Amino acid sequence: MPTSPYAPLGVLEEQIVVAVLRSRDEGFGMQVRREIERATGRDLAIGAVYATLDRLEAKGLLRSDRARLDGASRRLFAVTPEGARALADTRAMRERLWAGVELSGLLALAGR
Amino acid sequence: MLIPRGPHLLLRALLPRAERDEVLVDLSAEFGAIAAADGERAARRWAWRQALGSAPALLGWTWWRGWTGFEPRANAYRPGGPMLKSWITDARFAARRLRNRPLYTLLAVLTLALGIGGSAAVFGLARPLLLDPLPYAHAGEVGTLWMTGWWTEEEFLFLRGRIPGFRQVAAHRPSDVILRDGEGPTRLVAARQTSWELFDVLGARPMLGRGFREGDDAQGAEPVVVLSYGLWQELGGQQSVVGQRLTLDGEPRTVIGVMPRGFWFPDPAVRLWHARPLNPQGRNGSYALTGRTAPGVSVEAMRPQLAGLAKMLGDRFEYSEAGDKTKEPAVTPLREELLGSMRPALLATLTAMGLILLIACANVAALMLGQVEGRTAELAVRSALGANRGRLTQQLVVEALLVGVLAAVAGGALAAGGFRLLAGALPLGAWSESARFDWTMFAAALALAVGAVLLVVLVPTVSLWRGDLRAKIGSARTGGIQGRGGRMEGALVVTEVALAMLIASGAALLVRSVSNLYAIDPGVRTEGLAVVDVMSSRSLPSAERRQTLDEIARALGALPGVRSVGVAMKLPLRGSGDSFGIRVEGRDADGPGTNTYFRIVTPTYFETMGMRLREGRTFDNSDRLFGPADTANVEMSVLVNEAFVRKHFPKETAIGRRLTGGFNAPQRIVGVVSDVAEAGLTDEDAAAVYYLAGQAPIFGASASLVLNAGSEAAAAGVLDAARGTVSRVAPEFAVQGTTTMRRVLDTAVGPARQIMALLALLSSLALVLGAVGIYGVIAHFAARRKRDWAIKVTLGLLPRRVIGSIVAQGAALVGGGVVIGLAGTAVLARLLESFLFRVGTLDPVAFAAAGAALLLIGLAAALVPAWRAGMLNPSVVLREQ
Repeated sequence: MPTSPYAPLGVLEEQIVVAVLRSRDEGFGMQVRREIERATGRDLAIGAVYATLDRLEAKGLLRSDRARLDGASRRLFAVTPEGARALADTRAMRERLWAGVELSGLLALAGR
Repeated sequence: MLIPRGPHLLLRALLPRAERDEVLVDLSAEFGAIAAADGERAARRWAWRQALGSAPALLGWTWWRGWTGFEPRANAYRPGGPMLKSWITDARFAARRLRNRPLYTLLAVLTLALGIGGSAAVFGLARPLLLDPLPYAHAGEVGTLWMTGWWTEEEFLFLRGRIPGFRQVAAHRPSDVILRDGEGPTRLVAARQTSWELFDVLGARPMLGRGFREGDDAQGAEPVVVLSYGLWQELGGQQSVVGQRLTLDGEPRTVIGVMPRGFWFPDPAVRLWHARPLNPQGRNGSYALTGRTAPGVSVEAMRPQLAGLAKMLGDRFEYSEAGDKTKEPAVTPLREELLGSMRPALLATLTAMGLILLIACANVAALMLGQVEGRTAELAVRSALGANRGRLTQQLVVEALLVGVLAAVAGGALAAGGFRLLAGALPLGAWSESARFDWTMFAAALALAVGAVLLVVLVPTVSLWRGDLRAKIGSARTGGIQGRGGRMEGALVVTEVALAMLIASGAALLVRSVSNLYAIDPGVRTEGLAVVDVMSSRSLPSAERRQTLDEIARALGALPGVRSVGVAMKLPLRGSGDSFGIRVEGRDADGPGTNTYFRIVTPTYFETMGMRLREGRTFDNSDRLFGPADTANVEMSVLVNEAFVRKHFPKETAIGRRLTGGFNAPQRIVGVVSDVAEAGLTDEDAAAVYYLAGQAPIFGASASLVLNAGSEAAAAGVLDAARGTVSRVAPEFAVQGTTTMRRVLDTAVGPARQIMALLALLSSLALVLGAVGIYGVIAHFAARRKRDWAIKVTLGLLPRRVIGSIVAQGAALVGGGVVIGLAGTAVLARLLESFLFRVGTLDPVAFAAAGAALLLIGLAAALVPAWRAGMLNPSVVLREQ
């Protein structure tokens, strides 16, 4: 299978696509931001999240639809098959890169 | 819970309307959660961080959506896209249009960039000199007393502490020093000798150590110096320099302080200030007095105080007529004193550059106008489809702004590149060395560009708003019989020519003035003479100094190609120099105007300088040099010039007559030499007496050696070898500078020469731009009437009549421009007044020359399209349309 032309994704792009996946049916901007903050401790600006979401949608890696959530209209994001492909390829590339890398020795030094 | 007002408003303004409300609701919810968990303060901080951190991303997002036109599916039925979407779309459209018309884009951008870059560079040079505050506290309270450079130590010490209207006054004068740092080579440092008050008067504090304090200039005080930041850096930049000793002029001096970076006085070339004991009987008048006014007194209104000061001086001192300090007392504000001389040159250049920019604007406006006319059909269709005039104008503005931004970038680069060149070309002295290119010039370039394009876009906008677009659809299709309009283009050309006329006539005025200056015969050879200015330590005794100079002269004379070497303490064309009262023996003691220049020279000086002997002889071996055993009464031999003879011996021979005064010894006139410009180039010939070095009892620390090398090229070629010879033969002498007599004359001609060169360059630029403009407009005019001409030629009109008619159209435009320009010149030429010599600001010759040049170039530019129109085959034209 050919690799996705968008792989590897940028760090923020990757985090956002993963966060959309994790949010399941509640993938709106603030929820995505919250997911990332919870997992990485990174306090992202909401503007940066929306700008990246938009760009990913323009590339066809995400798609958005309007739905009512808690009584309010929201733009909810979902990952497209192309997005899933790009994410999987990004992960595969990373794992190939990491294969055989041994850090424990250095970490022990850093911990001293 | 709502997020605070500030972040709320910011985000509201930046978020796209379709998503705005939901994002703000979510943020508020999050804000409430954080406030509940960590307190309201933390929540507020978080909200601000969100808003400020989002701003760049949101701006980028908006631009990106506008540019790509991307609209998410989810927003398909929701109102509102990004802000200013139409502007962004227009920018995209304009970028595409510009890319597809590279010639038009290149021409417009380059033309504007020339004007913008030039103006920005001159602005960058002028800003520190005209606008920036001086590096002194409350500089408005500081002023310099009249007769700058003429005050004596005696006068200063008499006045010290009681000058009416002043809190404190400092005396200072140029006094370059020879610096020896440890075992390093000797070098000359531009320096200022000053009384202890200087830094207090200027309100400047050293960054290290202390400034001068009372007693530093008293008899017997330890000699102390203060360094500039630059010199301190060169000497190693160590904090421990304070308290160390430097060898200046062969004597150890203690460093007491270092001035902060950016401090300068009286110009950036001066790098050291030293105090040395002032002599209450010192009569050497070479000091300037600078003071800070007393509280409540302003530099501009000191008439009563100055009258009191003049009276104090009059009561105490007796003045000769020429040096009477009680006449016309005045105080010059410090900025005026230090930088005022450069203002006319900078203003003239800035004006010329501004005019170039305006010409460039007119050119680009004409170009855009041509573009708009070429787009009539497109614009008409857009208007028919519902675009109103505001919308069409917006498109023009965006296109112009895009051109402006490109021009600003190119202009900024031009300014950066041309800055050094310009700094060297302007008469700025030490300032041209210290001028630095900085970001403000880019800011200026951008501001100028935006101003320029708004000016430019005005023209097609007016044309757009005046015309009836829909009616034009018809004529756009058929081409019309006789193209109408073009009045606006004509007006632009007239403006361009008028502006070019301003610059060209300014240049012509200066050319006239400078050629008048060069037409003056300075009386000395100016070709083929090399000049080496040297300086020795003041601690070297006068006799030793002279002997060493003799050795240097001998060594220089042995250099290949050097025919003769003369030495003088001061060369002609370099300011007035030393003078004293001279009396003819046997005449009344107090005859008026006995003040006479005196020059101390070696025997070969006259021949080397090309001065002609009129009577008697020059110095030779029969003139014995004096030793220490000679008493003051031994007779000296002197030469005088013709002006001296005219003044003192109008009807009798001067040879053999004796003079007294000056040096306290009888002086016999042995010869008369031709007059030379002993002071300035434009001064009247003044009486001068020449003494023989070795007989005159003094010999100053600085001297000039003149080498006759035969040709200008040889003179320039010998300078390096001469420099090396001096440091080899006499290590205790420092070479102050090397030049040629030709360049001494250039310097004496003054700033007019440099401004002339610059204005001549700018006016040729203006002429080229003007010619391009005329060509463009006439070509457009001819193209519009092509069909008309073709029909007339078919019916029997001669082609040369077509050419004549088009050229006449061009001539009318250029002629109109010249006349209008002439009127403007009468006003603007006053800017150049201070540079003009024997030329009025309304010189008809200069104006006629400038007008003729413009007419010629204008006609030539019109002839090209006219010729092409006359040569057209009517059948081809008529079939084409």
